[in-house]
Amino acid sequence: MDVSLQILASGLTLGAMYAISTAGLALVFGAMKMLNMSHGAILALGGYLSYFALTGLGLPAPVGITFAVLVCAAVGVVIYHIVARPMLQSDNFETRIFIATIGVGVILESIILEAFGPQPKPQPVSVPGSLMWGGVYLPYQNLMILGVAVLIMAALGFALQKTRIGRAIRATAQNRDAAQLMGVRIGGVYALVLAISGGLAAVSGITISSLSSLLPNMGADPMLKAFIICVVAGLGSVPGSVIAALFIGVFEAVVQYIFGVRFSFALLLILVILVLIWRPHGVFGRVQGVRL
Amino acid sequence: MDSQINRRNFFKGSALLAGSAGLLVGANGTAYASGEPIPIGQAAPLTDFAAADGVEFRNGLLLACEEINALGGVLGRPLEPYFEDTKQMGDATNVQAVQRLIDRYGVHAVINGYNLGSGSAVQDVIADAGIIYMHNDTSRGHGVLVESDPQRYFGSFQTDPSETWYGTGLLKFLKSVEDDRSFSRPNNKMAIILSAGTYASNIANTVRDGAADFGWEISLYETVNVPTSEWGPTLAKIRQDPPAVIVVTHYFPADLAQFMVQFMNNPTPSLVYMQYGPSVKSFRDIAGQAANGVLFSTVIGALQDEMGLEFERRYKERFGANAGHNSGMQSYNGAWIWAIAAALAGGSGEPGNDDQNRKVADRIRSLIFRGVGGATRFVPGIQEAYAYPGGVDDPSLGMPHQFLQIQDYTGEPDLIAPWPYGKAAFKLPPWMNG
Repeated sequence: MDVSLQILASGLTLGAMYAISTAGLALVFGAMKMLNMSHGAILALGGYLSYFALTGLGLPAPVGITFAVLVCAAVGVVIYHIVARPMLQSDNFETRIFIATIGVGVILESIILEAFGPQPKPQPVSVPGSLMWGGVYLPYQNLMILGVAVLIMAALGFALQKTRIGRAIRATAQNRDAAQLMGVRIGGVYALVLAISGGLAAVSGITISSLSSLLPNMGADPMLKAFIICVVAGLGSVPGSVIAALFIGVFEAVVQYIFGVRFSFALLLILVILVLIWRPHGVFGRVQGVRL
Repeated sequence: MDSQINRRNFFKGSALLAGSAGLLVGANGTAYASGEPIPIGQAAPLTDFAAADGVEFRNGLLLACEEINALGGVLGRPLEPYFEDTKQMGDATNVQAVQRLIDRYGVHAVINGYNLGSGSAVQDVIADAGIIYMHNDTSRGHGVLVESDPQRYFGSFQTDPSETWYGTGLLKFLKSVEDDRSFSRPNNKMAIILSAGTYASNIANTVRDGAADFGWEISLYETVNVPTSEWGPTLAKIRQDPPAVIVVTHYFPADLAQFMVQFMNNPTPSLVYMQYGPSVKSFRDIAGQAANGVLFSTVIGALQDEMGLEFERRYKERFGANAGHNSGMQSYNGAWIWAIAAALAGGSGEPGNDDQNRKVADRIRSLIFRGVGGATRFVPGIQEAYAYPGGVDDPSLGMPHQFLQIQDYTGEPDLIAPWPYGKAAFKLPPWMNG
């Protein structure tokens, strides 16, 4: 029983971290058909900005986190205006933006390297201590990550389903031209989507670095996992990606315990292949039509 | 290159002068470094996950060049360093980086820290160019390759012992702390945690293969992915069957720090030995108090003696208080060995000048160099540094396999072995009531 709880706790923590980093990626793809390869670098930027705000500027944690989220959201808006918008009408937008955002990611990572140096740094946003429950030690940090993930996903779901701007985002995702004819300002929606994605990446960077450390390339692994989760869920499906993230987190933890850590990634990839054979558009994906 | 050091200051401040620097001064005579510069190169991971070390390798070479130039360079020719990035350090990237150094700058020598990869790929580029290669890949593959064709690989030297010494050294160290009764094993179980890759695997395999000879049985042999921040499943296995010793040969400082943080939530009565990561300051920064009690070792690092501490002072004065002198000393050490040998050989050779570089290689092979990390002397045939006490029993003839323990995470780790370099006694970790 102790071990099962320990594995479940580890899996849910992993899944929660994956969910936060995946949601932003799925949102942008769902709305714009844009696979933002700089998502990992924005994630790292968020972690570093939080570090800078707390240790460099001496700001309290809530203010520092808000600062990081706002700056990363602004980076998302800048990416839209400088990189995505000029390509929107071009042929093969999906391919071009894929390549272009790889470049953005490299630039952001280099800026982080120059600004903060290559040495790993501890993330100051952390909750020390742990809770003993059912014979298992649950660190408050892990519980906080789980709580933050639930809150953010609930807020995102509410915003997409129940608010005016959420409807505009979903309408744009369904049919850009029709949404435009209905008076939706497409440019504003896209900029907003990238801003939300940037903000989510910042939160993701802060939570991930609180369980590892800050490194300029820290976004690479979460980006890879987020991409895998998006593919499993169906590119563009936000609720699906959250469910897939939690499932994959628990799957990894179980495989690591039963078969060994080294098998977890390999078995994960086998799972992805099986899913894509079974449902080529992902578990929650659709061939056409509404996403988000 | 801005030289921050002049001859008078270096003479005044350097404890090296009595040894290695004296050799160089003797060869240089009264020459000042005013001749045609000698280009030397370094291929290091200046970006990506190992950049923290790569930057220190660059710093180490820069400092060595400044000091050597202050003493007249190599026979009056100043050293001019060039750098190429090896990023994630795959063999292909490493080879291309070294090839660029040769093609673009015509370097006479490549003086690296470590690059991951096979440890036996760059040597071919070096052999084709006929230049000298000093590196710290800490790989058994280097010796195997050099031994296969000593004429071809005449210029490749590994300035530290290979990684396999970590394994045998650890088992002997554990025996020594048991012999002096500072540690008593609660059982015979040993858990080994490694990451995929030649380096970590070779160390883990050596420990596993030699464990039975010292009365140990391997209760867990777990390979983890890189990076790994969630250690729950691995720790669950350890807590189900607590071993007397946990050996972690995975080396990422941040991952290891998280291991300790999560281990300390519910520690088992086990010694924790780690590989490399705890030597980096960020390990202590991230793990905090959970770092106290951790054991680790290195086959190359600055000693905590007069020379080592003086080097640390100069290094931090030049590159800042948080600079990692233990990483920087790798290329620093290699540069000094090469410069002295080149001066004794009558100068270094450009690419294609095999004849001159063979003379340099001959001098390197015959040197016993006392640097800031102990004595470097090369094993004939395989051209890697002798290990002390594993390979030789005389500390003046081999590079010490240093065992350190973090006894207070707010300060530098304490060097506890081998004799005569140890400065502190081993202490039981706090989670074992130490």
